[in-house]
Amino acid sequence: MAYALEGIKVLDFAWVGVGPITTKYLADNGAEVIRVESAAKLDVLRLGPPWKDGQPGINRSQFYASYNTSKKGITLNLGKPKARELVRRLVPWADIVVESFTPKAMRGWELDYEHLREIKPDLIMLSTCLQGQTGPNALYPGFGQLMAALSGFYHISGYEDGSVCPPYGAYTDFIAPRFSAAALLAALDYRRRTGKGQYIDMAQYEAALSNLAPALIDYFATGRVLGPKGNASERYAPHGAYRCEDEEGNEQWIALAVANDAEWRAMLEVLGAKAPDDRFATHLGRLENRQALDAFVSRSVRGWRVMDLVAKLQAAGVASYRVQNCVDLHQDENLQAFDFWHWLEHKEMGPSPYEGLQHRLSRTPGELRSAAPILGQHNEEVLGGMLGLSAAEIEQLQKENVVF
Amino acid sequence: MASELLKGFRMLDLADEKGAMCGKIFADLGADVIKVEPVGGCSTRRIPPFLEDIPGEDRSLYFLAYHAGKRSVTANLESTDGRALVAELARHADFLVESFPLGYLDSIGLGYDELSRANQRLIYASITPFGDKGPAKNYKAADIVTWASGGMMYLMGEEGRPPLQMSLPQAGMHAGAEAAVASLIAHYPRQTSGLGQKIVVDMQACIVWTLMNEQAMPIFHGDFLRRSGVFVGSADARRKMVFRCADGHISILIMGGAVGAPSTIALVKWMDEKGFASDWMKTKDWMSWVPGLLMAMTQKDREEIDELEDRVEKFFLTMTKHEIYREALKRRILLAPVATVADIAADEQLEARKFFVKVDHHDTLGRSLTFPGPFARFTETPIAPPARAPRLGEHNREVYCGLLGLDLERLSRLSAEGAI
Repeated sequence: MAYALEGIKVLDFAWVGVGPITTKYLADNGAEVIRVESAAKLDVLRLGPPWKDGQPGINRSQFYASYNTSKKGITLNLGKPKARELVRRLVPWADIVVESFTPKAMRGWELDYEHLREIKPDLIMLSTCLQGQTGPNALYPGFGQLMAALSGFYHISGYEDGSVCPPYGAYTDFIAPRFSAAALLAALDYRRRTGKGQYIDMAQYEAALSNLAPALIDYFATGRVLGPKGNASERYAPHGAYRCEDEEGNEQWIALAVANDAEWRAMLEVLGAKAPDDRFATHLGRLENRQALDAFVSRSVRGWRVMDLVAKLQAAGVASYRVQNCVDLHQDENLQAFDFWHWLEHKEMGPSPYEGLQHRLSRTPGELRSAAPILGQHNEEVLGGMLGLSAAEIEQLQKENVVF
Repeated sequence: MASELLKGFRMLDLADEKGAMCGKIFADLGADVIKVEPVGGCSTRRIPPFLEDIPGEDRSLYFLAYHAGKRSVTANLESTDGRALVAELARHADFLVESFPLGYLDSIGLGYDELSRANQRLIYASITPFGDKGPAKNYKAADIVTWASGGMMYLMGEEGRPPLQMSLPQAGMHAGAEAAVASLIAHYPRQTSGLGQKIVVDMQACIVWTLMNEQAMPIFHGDFLRRSGVFVGSADARRKMVFRCADGHISILIMGGAVGAPSTIALVKWMDEKGFASDWMKTKDWMSWVPGLLMAMTQKDREEIDELEDRVEKFFLTMTKHEIYREALKRRILLAPVATVADIAADEQLEARKFFVKVDHHDTLGRSLTFPGPFARFTETPIAPPARAPRLGEHNREVYCGLLGLDLERLSRLSAEGAI
């Protein structure tokens, strides 16, 4: 069966998280994506854990591999004029160019949009960096962890006493790519209708603030600053995570949210518990007496096996699930039924675990078409096959650290 | 003027908070997004907090933010006429997004199979909390439940205290944006085949995807991470990510090696200028300093890190987060303030890029509101500030009469009968 994006060609200079995750959407759906990397400045994710067998190596990182499925990988050291010349020869092939360096890099190499559009007038080019291509902090270096702090997500993660408990990892790296992928796909449709390419400047900072919009609008309107509020909710009570019986030495918690009186009564019945006093008689009362309510729920769920409780609560109409650790996720029957986990054969790592797609198309489904490339895996195929360089020429360029 | 990116395409938005972001992205991209609400209004109109804490169907900050740029019609899906109207709208639509319990729309004749018979171009996205095939496929999920089922909650919080949510719902944001991407992926082949398709978005999977490099840790390294407050890494090798300063917190991960050493050297130099660096920090070979986050550290590494983290915090406590951030930008030190919305609102970078936009709400709220601006800058087809979120059923006449060709008499009859 044909893939949705078959025939689309992407030249991908992006590295680390946001850019590669963006082009992964295209690659997994059939676009031909050539990632341009270099040992002269390795994608830092190639150096990051987890590593196959726990042993570091530039071709052993699942961190890198997860974001680069279905792509081809070539090595060109863009610091060398000959490498940039090869890039210029590849650009006419591409519908889309993506890059995620700090803004001055592509300009310095004369590989920015103004230069590339001279070669390919209807090119669609996306630059994604932390703070955007313009402005005083455009050259801000850093990673998504810092961006998650800068764009407000750390501050709204914590207990009511103000302690900060950030989300794991580079949270905004998983917000921005959905926006940049949508941007590219819409730009493709616009080009189809009008023949016009264009340049897209996506600041990960700005894209991430979409997820914070209500709090920003509130602040501008009233000056209220949203802070950490534990697991409190203004809509649900109880609402939070409550500890059940430990299993195999691991803590087990249930997350639940009760929206109204009917759900509250259903929950009491499942727990075989009686509300200790009439503060909990109404939804408003439960919202206003949250701490006492949390203490009551905590006492009531202790001793339950978490998935038994989930099954009973869900049958009674109460939104709930286990707070899952990473091992739980790999064993999760729902994720398995959605065909989320995949083992792919990687050239150096062998069989390796990959996350699959988070959506499924009925007619033209995407899939992980291949494991991530090892560094320079497709040099011959691309430089030889597409650009017509001979094996001797490629070897010479390798000696000159151009193909590197 | 709205962006021309998706000009001429129409989306029916039947999603609640699990998918409001999908239609928001389409509206930003210039599509005509029609929000179909029950007669009593979409549940998202009732999500607190409300503007100035005054409840009202046009005052939910969530609703205002994520339905801006859309039109609103009402349709009672429990009535035959209401369902017929939605089916008719779907004939005039290119996209549909919904987040009802699995199978509900099928049961009332508005499922994909039914609607695509009348409009084979239709792309129909269903957002589901647990997918459409597993044992939990009919389970209910609030945002915090998906945060838990997807694994992010497990990693947030302190040992000895409960795992945590974020103070603003996030799962629906990811799922809605994922539905937008998937819909646009399906759109591409439709331009030649003329055929739409059905999409299922799995919210749980959307959150699993945010766990970055954690997924393969237990497989390759034999253990999984646990929540550890401001620290990251396994218990015997953990590193501090967030430090106190005079007026809040700073996030910095102090690293060595090619990636981190230049920043750490610059930090130590700055600390030294103010008398906060120990002698060993000034002579340390930071390029070759890479104490693993996974492998147990040596005793020496541990002691050095403890001292470094202690001194960095004492140093930061002498300055505000703004002072630290400004100086770090000059010195190219990899850090960021733990910013509040007030910090973001005053940020010079966003100001220089004229990010925030005013959206006129005078007719509904007697004022304008300031919104975050476009998620990306397009040279040919810029994203314009949105129109304010619609009042309930504001576009009934425009859509039902203008688009579907109903006459006014029929419209008022439908209204009287409770169909719209």
